[in-house]
Amino acid sequence: MIAPEVMNEWYPVAMAAQICAGQRRVTQLLGQPITVHVQDGVIVVTGQAGPLHVTEAFGHVWACPGTPAHPLFPIPEALETGRRLVDVGVVRVKCSPLRAVENFLDIAHFPFVHTDVLGAEPHTEVNRYEVQIREDSDEVWATKVTFYQPQAAKSAEGGIVTQYMYRVPAPTAAVLYKTCPARPDAWDVIGIFVQPLSEELCDVWPWMALYDDATPQAELIAFQQMIFLQDRSILENQIPRLLPLDPGMEIPTQADLTSIAYRRWLKKRGLTYGAQMVAA
Amino acid sequence: MTQRWTATGLSQDLPKAVAMAGHWQGHDLAVWRSASGRLQAWNDRCPHRGMRLSHGFVRGETLACIYHGWVYGADGGCKHIPAHPALTPPATIRVAAFACVEQDGVIWVAPAETVGAPVALRGLQPLRSISLTCDVVAVRLAEPALSGDDVLRGLVQIGGQACEVCLLVQHGASGLTLHALCAVGADRIAASRWLEDLRRRAERKGAA
Ligand code: FES
Repeated sequence: MIAPEVMNEWYPVAMAAQICAGQRRVTQLLGQPITVHVQDGVIVVTGQAGPLHVTEAFGHVWACPGTPAHPLFPIPEALETGRRLVDVGVVRVKCSPLRAVENFLDIAHFPFVHTDVLGAEPHTEVNRYEVQIREDSDEVWATKVTFYQPQAAKSAEGGIVTQYMYRVPAPTAAVLYKTCPARPDAWDVIGIFVQPLSEELCDVWPWMALYDDATPQAELIAFQQMIFLQDRSILENQIPRLLPLDPGMEIPTQADLTSIAYRRWLKKRGLTYGAQMVAA
Repeated sequence: MTQRWTATGLSQDLPKAVAMAGHWQGHDLAVWRSASGRLQAWNDRCPHRGMRLSHGFVRGETLACIYHGWVYGADGGCKHIPAHPALTPPATIRVAAFACVEQDGVIWVAPAETVGAPVALRGLQPLRSISLTCDVVAVRLAEPALSGDDVLRGLVQIGGQACEVCLLVQHGASGLTLHALCAVGADRIAASRWLEDLRRRAERKGAA
């Protein structure tokens, strides 16, 4: 039995462009088989017990297997003119969907996992930043995050101190805002939408809304996919497989404030699919 | 209690400044050799966010976790947290260590409190490690000259000659690993072929 809190959330299940082009995606959501396809001009998602609630946003198809507790979260920046929206595609990872999100919120790993791209020794320090659970939207936010990066984005030349904001608007989705090398007054927006196939397997759909007219699409996608493939080698080798919501045997530090808040938020809201409650 | 020692690899397969995965009866271990050659076996789980330390990297006499670079010294204690360079990590951040010795070219592991030494293997030289998808019974059925449970020994025919062999058994989630030794002076290439043939025969027995 999956908790209603979990069933009543929205999850990404496909890239909209692929389905609209006539592809039929046979996949899984929360351990159950589903099919995503176009029928009579609309996108439908069908499970064993019939159709699921469907919405389309940010280049992806989202489904809710229960009764939606709320509409899908907004990303206002997706509507801003001048931004380039990039669907990166899918990366399958043998890990808890929650671990994939937590890793996306983490900056301390940049110098070691994305060496010479998103970070480099000796620039390993994570300065104090602010984390809160916003009451109006019930989202986890981390702000005033800064980090030195040798090549922060495809459009960046040389090292810069990048500023970040992180946002968790749904249990298996996260959005980051980072300094845009081409436009210092604006933020680049990168999301990851994680489809929980099961508690220990997920499809990760990165998505971007950038101010970058110069870089060819294929290069942008290749850059982002390289980053996620590097993350995958970590995510498939963490113990335990499920995300521990009780600190138990793990020792976080000040650099992990976002991860701590995310775990607390999941626990408070009963979003425990892919999590373990006992310390082990 | 010498039988608590389990062979987890051969010395020849773990050079200096390298970490590898090891096992002791279902416990995953990070087995690593420092730059000066010191061998250690630890719980394969970083105390920070659970990353396998066997994926880590050796720097000098320390092992660093590949995820966030936490550095662990020879006693398993955390020496450095890169995200907080000015911080002296509290002594409570420590990776659990196993006993680990090297003898006759074999790397042996056991729980930390284990006393005594692993079984001595005189007159034998390390050959290679090989993984099988069957159990020990199938190995003995395939080669009746071998006897024993955790240590299989016997005189077998290799290249037309009787040769003493010893197979150290390590149980894993999906089968066995055999760490093989053969008599000093034996033809290693022929012995290696014999071992591969034994695997084929044993896996066929195991499947039957
Ligand atoms: S998990 Fe090992 S340093 Fe973070």
